[in-house]
Amino acid sequence: MSARGTEFRETLLGRVRLDGEDRERPVRLDLVARAGTVVLPHRTTRARLTGRVRIAGRADDAEAVGELEISPLARRRIRYRITFTLEGRRLELDGWKSLSPARPVTSMTVLPYSLHEDGRPAGQGTLRFPLGTGLLPFVASFRFPRTSAHDPGRDLAARWDGRPGRTEVWYTTLTDPATGTGVWLHHEVVAPTDGSAAYAHGWAALFPQDGPVRHARFGPVPATGGTDGFTAGDVRVAPGALSGSAGPLTWSLTETPQGPPVRTFPRWSWRHPWLPASHMLPASRCRYTGTVRHGDGEELRLDGAFGASARIYGHGNAARWAWLHADLGGGDVLEIVAAVSTRPGLDRLPPLVFLRLLRGGRTWPGRAERSAVGWAGAGRFTADLALPRWRVTGRAGLRRIRVTVTQPEERTLALDYTDPDGSAAVCRNSESADAEIHLERWWGRWRPEAHWRLAGTAHAEVGER
Amino acid sequence: MNPRTDTALPALTAAFLGDDGTTDWVRGVPRRLRTLLDAMPRSARTAVHGAALAVDAYALARTGRRLTALAPGERERLLARLAAHRTALPVLDALKVPVLLAAGTERMLHREAPAARPAADDPPLDCTPSAAWPNRSTADAVVVGSGAGGAMAARTLARAGLRVVVVEEGEHHTTASFAGRTPLDRFTGLYRDAGATIAYGAPPLVVPTGRAVGGTTVVNSGTCYRTPDHVLTRWRTIHGFAAADGLTTHLDEAERTLRVARQPLDVLGENGRLALSGARRLGWAAGPLRRNAPGCQGSCQCVVGCPTGAKQSVQLSVLPDACAAGARIVTAARVRRLLVDRDRPGGPRASGVLVSRPDGSELEILSPLVVVAAGALGTPQLLRRSGLGGHPGLGRNLSVHPAISVAGRFGTPVGGGQAVLQSVAVEELHADGILIEATAAPPGMSSFVLPGVGRALRDALEDTEHLATLGAMVADRPSGRVLGRHGTLLRYALAPRDAGRLLRAQRAMGRLLFAAGAEEVLTGVPHAPRAGDMAQLEALLADVAVRHLHVSAFHPTGTAAAGADEDRAPADPEGRLRGAHGVLIADGSVLPSCPEVNPQLSIMAAALAVTDRWLART
Repeated sequence: MSARGTEFRETLLGRVRLDGEDRERPVRLDLVARAGTVVLPHRTTRARLTGRVRIAGRADDAEAVGELEISPLARRRIRYRITFTLEGRRLELDGWKSLSPARPVTSMTVLPYSLHEDGRPAGQGTLRFPLGTGLLPFVASFRFPRTSAHDPGRDLAARWDGRPGRTEVWYTTLTDPATGTGVWLHHEVVAPTDGSAAYAHGWAALFPQDGPVRHARFGPVPATGGTDGFTAGDVRVAPGALSGSAGPLTWSLTETPQGPPVRTFPRWSWRHPWLPASHMLPASRCRYTGTVRHGDGEELRLDGAFGASARIYGHGNAARWAWLHADLGGGDVLEIVAAVSTRPGLDRLPPLVFLRLLRGGRTWPGRAERSAVGWAGAGRFTADLALPRWRVTGRAGLRRIRVTVTQPEERTLALDYTDPDGSAAVCRNSESADAEIHLERWWGRWRPEAHWRLAGTAHAEVGER
Repeated sequence: MNPRTDTALPALTAAFLGDDGTTDWVRGVPRRLRTLLDAMPRSARTAVHGAALAVDAYALARTGRRLTALAPGERERLLARLAAHRTALPVLDALKVPVLLAAGTERMLHREAPAARPAADDPPLDCTPSAAWPNRSTADAVVVGSGAGGAMAARTLARAGLRVVVVEEGEHHTTASFAGRTPLDRFTGLYRDAGATIAYGAPPLVVPTGRAVGGTTVVNSGTCYRTPDHVLTRWRTIHGFAAADGLTTHLDEAERTLRVARQPLDVLGENGRLALSGARRLGWAAGPLRRNAPGCQGSCQCVVGCPTGAKQSVQLSVLPDACAAGARIVTAARVRRLLVDRDRPGGPRASGVLVSRPDGSELEILSPLVVVAAGALGTPQLLRRSGLGGHPGLGRNLSVHPAISVAGRFGTPVGGGQAVLQSVAVEELHADGILIEATAAPPGMSSFVLPGVGRALRDALEDTEHLATLGAMVADRPSGRVLGRHGTLLRYALAPRDAGRLLRAQRAMGRLLFAAGAEEVLTGVPHAPRAGDMAQLEALLADVAVRHLHVSAFHPTGTAAAGADEDRAPADPEGRLRGAHGVLIADGSVLPSCPEVNPQLSIMAAALAVTDRWLART
């Protein structure tokens, strides 16, 4: 199954002669077609139809449903079967355009059809696609949305192929709704640039609402690579499960994906690692159940806590960066990575902001590149990286966003990072950060569209050299 | 028609019939001939007009005047001079066929008013003209053609509970409509190309096929032979036609449906009685034929639709049952091509038919099963038009039962009164592939061509009541081929063995007629037309080659034959077309070889077997 589907709208106008009537009536169909695959002209594609069927004076059903068979070359047929209600009767419209190379326009636009009621004829007529008024909206309505057939487990599989100078990270952050405690599990494989043996290591950290941040490191141990996740001693990341221990911390969690993947960076950068690094979430949010124990007898029992796992693969850490994962509730998620590359030249640029707002099943901005580079730099999103407060603002299309993240020092953990080339960075992380997000929409003037305030439930970090 | 042919053809007709103004009926012949030509395909029409112009040019060259300007006597002398050329004679003979057809009708009309027969009520059919059929419809099975095979397939599938639509190119003609019209009027409407379907070869063959609801069964003679056992054995063992297994049961069913019985002697007619007496005197095996016409009233018009409804053509016997089981018939609907889904898993699959109406508009019927029963001449072309004609065997293997006629002149009237058109079979030579059948067609519709031109021809026409006619058909080798995609384009190269059989049949028929008491035998050979006794006939025929004969052909079969050999048979042993799913062949074309007898029962039983097996599999 292809990763994308097809959606389009079509309006057809025509006439019908219902059985028992001596005159024809005008008919109008406004249809939305949704296919699970990309429509290819030489193949046969089936699509679901929904829409509105109107027969002047007799029927107006906005709940019409049906099926579309699109096969312009293989079967030379585009067949519509639509069931609708006419004065309490369920009628089926069955008709098809029969494509002919000799009459391409006529055969693509004329749809003769019959009406049936319980298999018996109930009328017939012809619909036409109004080329003059309908072609532009029809073409402009085409969308190729990604289908939901995504396996989050696939993105957990190790990417590192043994090459030196690479870093690969699996990290999970979550917040226990009962206690407000934040949890950070970080798993990392580092293949040093000098060719020495790759090693796996990581850490775990707890961010209680009212206590000091506790953390412990595990590893380093020689990296094995080539698994369906991460393994280092007793620490494991596998699809649906996280377990291990680091010092006094022991954890055993199940992970249940709850949303679509989030490509924080452009999709191609994850498939083809041409950027210094790429970041993505196999699922926009997950539920976690299990326990996290601290050696002194403290035990955190999680039952459906929300959080997310993320993946990073690249050449190392950025020169400066900031990251935010904000669970906005109701399945909505805001993910931000703002970073300055270490590469010569790129390191002179301001932070590139990759911002993905999943809201109501749609992602804004439409393309991941949009917030980072804008239109050749113009209109890109901006980031002001500082501590304890950092900000991201930007505008795309008719919306603009303002994000303010606060990482109070007492709820922030500073850790040293080591890149494959041996250089060091400091990361200040908080799994109990605050965030305030303003979303506005232009409608004559900028009007507030949504506002979220996260108190201690945002996951954020800022890194610097 | 340009002005020259407009005048040349009537003048030629007048010359042919020796019109000297003394005979009333001759005057109406040109008009009737024009009506007939208008119904013919353009090629045949052009050939006739071209020949008329050629004769006109000959007149101009010989006399300095055109045919119209010549006096009756001069015209007749000119034509006689032309007929003296042995090479021109066959052309004149071919021209004579439509003229005789028109003349026979005119003469009949002037002699007797068309009998107003009480119209019998036909069993009801669910027929819808294509103009009233929706542009888009669906069915469980579409049957292309409503002849012997199509009707039986439709009935079988409809009885199994499928929604069946039969698509028929011709019109629906009721018995009442037959009773109210002249034979020629019916002839032009009931035959494809107005009967002028020609198979090109030496000699060329006329292959008339029906085009109506009921197909050729509307215009056949009603003779119903079971497939001979040795033919069934050959189909099963040599060709691997699996559907031939158990065909005996299906033949029984077909016979029951058509109410087949031996023709009683009461309305047999003088023609049949003479054949019987001739055979008795020679000690030859002969008897009345088994026919599907219970209560036949001897109208002798089988070939233009039975005017009394006695003949159980499939539109009176099989299709009413099919319609009672839910089948519907679309008339005046020519299938342009089968719709084929080429991207189906497992290969192309038929998905319906594209049909054109007489006004040029189109309709489509979607169906997962298409039964092709367009006749042995139509099926290969239809499959080719549909892009399914890739099999090298498609259109080949055409058998046609080449046939000739011989007439005997008797001292006592033979025609007139009640008679069965095809009444008696003389089976003495059947084992040798020759079947003689006493056949008396309406005036001009016999495949026998009267000799002579001018007054002689007119006199011969006036004397047809004294003629008894026998026909002989031979079991042929599959020597023909259906070409092209449109129109009917046939090639037929008569095999030397079959040519020998035709010549032998001609002698045998002459002998039979003399034995029955004929004063003279008309051979139908242009340059050797008459023989007064057997010795004279033998002497005449010694000089006759098969190319001199006027050969008709009937019962085309085998052009999409079923068989086990993938390289030779376009259909598999169960009658499914190779190379596409969802296509059954259920007409004469599926028969692996010549059935050696009139094939209606064989085709019906094969169609029943093919559809039955398909149902059993699904």
